[in-house]
Amino acid sequence: MISSVAVVMLILPVAGALLSVMLKGRARPAALVTAALSTAAAVWLTVAKYGSVYTKMLWHVPWLRGIVDVPVLGFLVDPLASVMLLVAAPIGFLTVLFSTAYLTDKNREHPVKSEHYGRYYFWLLLFIASMVGLAVSPNFLQFFAFWELTTLCSWALISFYQTETSLRAGFKALLMTHVGSGFFLLAILILFARTSSFDFSALGMLPDGLRAGVFVLLLIAAWAKAAQVPVQTWLPDAMEAPTPISAYLHAAAMVKAGVYLMARTLSGGWGFPAKTVLLMAGMALVTILVALSFYFVQDDLKRLLAYSTIAHLGYVLLGIAVGGLGSTLGLRGAVLHIICHGYSKATLFFCAGVVSYVTGTRSISSLRGLAKTMPLTATAFFVGVLSVTGVPPLACFWSKFMILSGAMRLSGAIGPCIVIFILCETLISFGWMLYIAQKIFLGAPLAAAQVAADPPLAMNATLVILMIACVAAPFVGMPFVQLIGK
Amino acid sequence: MTTAVRNIEASIVILIAGSLVSLLFARWRKLCGWVSFAIVCASSVCTGLAVVRTFAAASDERTILSLPQLGSRLSLRIDPLSAIFLAIVAVIALLSALYSVRYMEHYAHDSVAKFFPILLLCIASMTGVLVCTDFLFFLIFWESMTLTSYFLVTFETENAASQRAGLKYFIITHGATLCMVAAALLVWRTSGSFAFDAIRQSLSALLVAQPLLAHTIIFLFFLGFATKAGVLPMGDWLPDAHPVAPSGMSAILSGALVKLGIYGLLRVFCSFVVAPASLKGWGIVLALAGTGSLFVGTLTALRQTDTKRLMAFHTIGQIGYICLGLGVGTYCLGTHPALATIALAGTILHAINHACFKSCLFLGAGSVLYRTGNRDMDQLGGLAHSMPFTTGTTAIASLSIAGVPPLNGFASKWLIIAACLLTGMRFPLFLLLGLIALFISLATLASFLKVLASVFLGKADESRAVEEVPISMIVPQVTLAALCVLLGIFPQLVLRFVGRAIEGVTAMPLTGVGAPGMWSGLQIIDGSAVGFWSPIAILAALAVLALLSYAIQRAGGAQSRSVPVWYCGEEHTPSTVRYPASSLYLPFKHAFQGIYPSGRIPVPRFPASLRRALDFDRWLYTPSVKAIDRTADRVSRTHVGIPQIYLLWIVIGAIVVTGILLWLRT
Repeated sequence: MISSVAVVMLILPVAGALLSVMLKGRARPAALVTAALSTAAAVWLTVAKYGSVYTKMLWHVPWLRGIVDVPVLGFLVDPLASVMLLVAAPIGFLTVLFSTAYLTDKNREHPVKSEHYGRYYFWLLLFIASMVGLAVSPNFLQFFAFWELTTLCSWALISFYQTETSLRAGFKALLMTHVGSGFFLLAILILFARTSSFDFSALGMLPDGLRAGVFVLLLIAAWAKAAQVPVQTWLPDAMEAPTPISAYLHAAAMVKAGVYLMARTLSGGWGFPAKTVLLMAGMALVTILVALSFYFVQDDLKRLLAYSTIAHLGYVLLGIAVGGLGSTLGLRGAVLHIICHGYSKATLFFCAGVVSYVTGTRSISSLRGLAKTMPLTATAFFVGVLSVTGVPPLACFWSKFMILSGAMRLSGAIGPCIVIFILCETLISFGWMLYIAQKIFLGAPLAAAQVAADPPLAMNATLVILMIACVAAPFVGMPFVQLIGK
Repeated sequence: MTTAVRNIEASIVILIAGSLVSLLFARWRKLCGWVSFAIVCASSVCTGLAVVRTFAAASDERTILSLPQLGSRLSLRIDPLSAIFLAIVAVIALLSALYSVRYMEHYAHDSVAKFFPILLLCIASMTGVLVCTDFLFFLIFWESMTLTSYFLVTFETENAASQRAGLKYFIITHGATLCMVAAALLVWRTSGSFAFDAIRQSLSALLVAQPLLAHTIIFLFFLGFATKAGVLPMGDWLPDAHPVAPSGMSAILSGALVKLGIYGLLRVFCSFVVAPASLKGWGIVLALAGTGSLFVGTLTALRQTDTKRLMAFHTIGQIGYICLGLGVGTYCLGTHPALATIALAGTILHAINHACFKSCLFLGAGSVLYRTGNRDMDQLGGLAHSMPFTTGTTAIASLSIAGVPPLNGFASKWLIIAACLLTGMRFPLFLLLGLIALFISLATLASFLKVLASVFLGKADESRAVEEVPISMIVPQVTLAALCVLLGIFPQLVLRFVGRAIEGVTAMPLTGVGAPGMWSGLQIIDGSAVGFWSPIAILAALAVLALLSYAIQRAGGAQSRSVPVWYCGEEHTPSTVRYPASSLYLPFKHAFQGIYPSGRIPVPRFPASLRRALDFDRWLYTPSVKAIDRTADRVSRTHVGIPQIYLLWIVIGAIVVTGILLWLRT
């Protein structure tokens, strides 16, 4: 029963993707239904397997027989995978829902004709399928396969409009993350050569020095995927994608795959040398700082949000590193941050989508006083901003607080130093984001903003759901998170 | 079974659910207001019951939610101190909600959906702050309060000033909250718990083991709470945020919300810190901060011509008095329990009294704004005839804030200054601070006489017919003014409960506060009549004197006649012959010109060179991709398409391979 639900959860979006290609202009209902069913399956799976670790290996890889005689492909649903599923599947569904309204010829920024629907929903659903597959991967091999699939999907979707800049951006994303994937592959090969196994637990069988090496290789792959310094530059350029895609890519997919890999690697409790983990923490802090420094010069709303994503993935990696240094609370906080940041950032991106849909621009300087005509969007944006910057009682406060308290648990002066650094960053980014939110939504409306068109129902529904999620996310995530690292 | 905690829970739930209900009615301006008022009524009744129950019997503690991994629990408890502040919140919220029902008509362009539901949430979070016994959840309620009040401050979305003020308010107070987060985490590091009791224990242990760390923690707490309370210089947000908020909200901000900062300071310094030596040091810090605030705040208020801004500066000033009292109390806590009792009683009493008179003043200013659309005192005048209730209540509150006996402002200032001067006998610094506080009361009086004179007295404009505000706006003002008089004449009504609160909150043994009889006035049981003040006796003496003078006038048969003011026979308009507010106290204004420096902080520019260095695309990736591209280009140039050349490559390759093999053999 469980395994068949898991298979359905994975197969449905793929089937939806194929259906979309066939249905072309009428792809929307099919995409919506398959995404919804897959989400339902994912939620059911996490609830049914709450509190336990469910592993089911189903398929062999034919050409590995003789070396590995156990099935290699299958499902693993543990608390960590549950959290990732609860991010990837529901946000995927909301992305599809939002897209049904966003990708129309009524869009003032990028009108899309219905003949492109097939292509769009094909890649989007495949994206969802690969994220779901990645979330439930039981070993590095399957993880890698879906990992590369997400790269492919994001390449296709970033370049969706096929303009010069979007093609370039898509290629850049593909190139940079793929180079990172090379390191991942190398790590898997070393692991397999030494232990004849792809399991996550095989890391524990490696000798210490080699394990540190493999860890660093995985870390580089995760950096590339999660857009961390020094390979963060593809993410802001990827804003050429249609806005729902940016939302999914930032909130739930692609970049979250990178931090998920590190969470997987470090949650098993195989000791890694403190030096390498400190490298991870240090780079996370550098990333947060670098991303912050780019906030102040952005005029494109989506690019600003992209830098905020980079900083928040830095938070997640910082939390995971704190977990690697021995403070489980930090790891739990980081995993909680995946879900909290996912829903908050999705809210912000969808708001940016609504704004550009209605006004035809994303430029911060040409937007003012939108709250007058779009109160719901304004509310959602404020909720999103306050949630992302960690204002209690909204979502990211809880996860940030857990990361901070995890850091406090570390011995020596490192904990308080991290906490002070993070609090300073929080205050600055909070101030700036609030300033931008005020600038766009409050004040006397500018000419560009005086558009009477109300956003369509599907968009409003998405925003309302996400606003609720911005409050509820920690309460959904907390029960799962507290089982991690037990 | 209902207990005090249950009542509070009910109150919070009513408010949160009520905010959704009021959102449903937001389309109908007046109906939404009345619905919200009904909800606040219900919640205030619940809170009131909880307060009464707390003083009747010791409150229990109830845990609602537990987060064992963080060492934190959402548990609620009401002690006498929180009960007193709960009462303030409930009363002020109730009256402000009633006042706002009609007042919000004033804002024709802005929907009340942005006001009433958020107001309810704000009241709910203020209530939550007061009953939490766990610092994590305390912070959550605390910041919810900041968040909701931010949206109330920026209510007028098209007004640039309110946007700026809101942004400043939120950023400064959020910074303060982050200070408290840091403090809480530092304590948690040693104790592993966020419960207040655990904080007290580990803080007292830290004061011995790591004094530097402990004092840093206390400083962070001080920064966090003092910012909210509006102690200068951190309270710089206050004069901007108060005037731009709708007046009902200004009353809540000044009457209740900034008081929670005082509540926090009381908790930290009376309950968390127990070592007498450090108490002394922090007492001096608090007293100096308080005196600085009251001096600068009040003298700056003297310069203002905007009614609400003037009152906001007086909030800083009065908070300064409270902080001074708290400082003296903290200083004496370990060594002179009797003096500490007097000072702390004055502190809490002044917090209560300030809530009454300052809310009344803000509501009065709001009424003037509602009818005239103006806050500028230079353009107002002569409203006494047309708005008698507003004039009367504002006059009472003005005299009360200036500390004129027998109103309530005097009763509490008396205690604070008495404590100051008595402590000054032992430590002369406090003598100085007490004298400053005493004389600043004069400036307060001057400043409010200016308000009364320029807004309500003088000649009225005949061109504009101004009438009294509707009855639902008069009732809150009259209630608050009546409270000012009542608490002035019978301070012992609340002093008894204040005494319980002090006993409850301090970890030190203190002398009790007593109010033996209804007519005895203020008295601190100490064997001496130190805090003694009997308003009834003074009032009786005054009444006798008034009767006497009246009798003399009647006996002498003196006649009084009223004539219009002679303006040298020139034709005039009321505005030209009025004495404008900005012309008053000019020497003072010149003398204290730079006392409140203001200016824009220049936005720090991020150096462009550093940004270029951080742009990895520019100097790393683009060049390296180009280099790879060029290399590939060069390699491809070897493919010339001439068979002879390929053959030559093969021959060269064969030679090289053979050479390598031969070399390997040897």
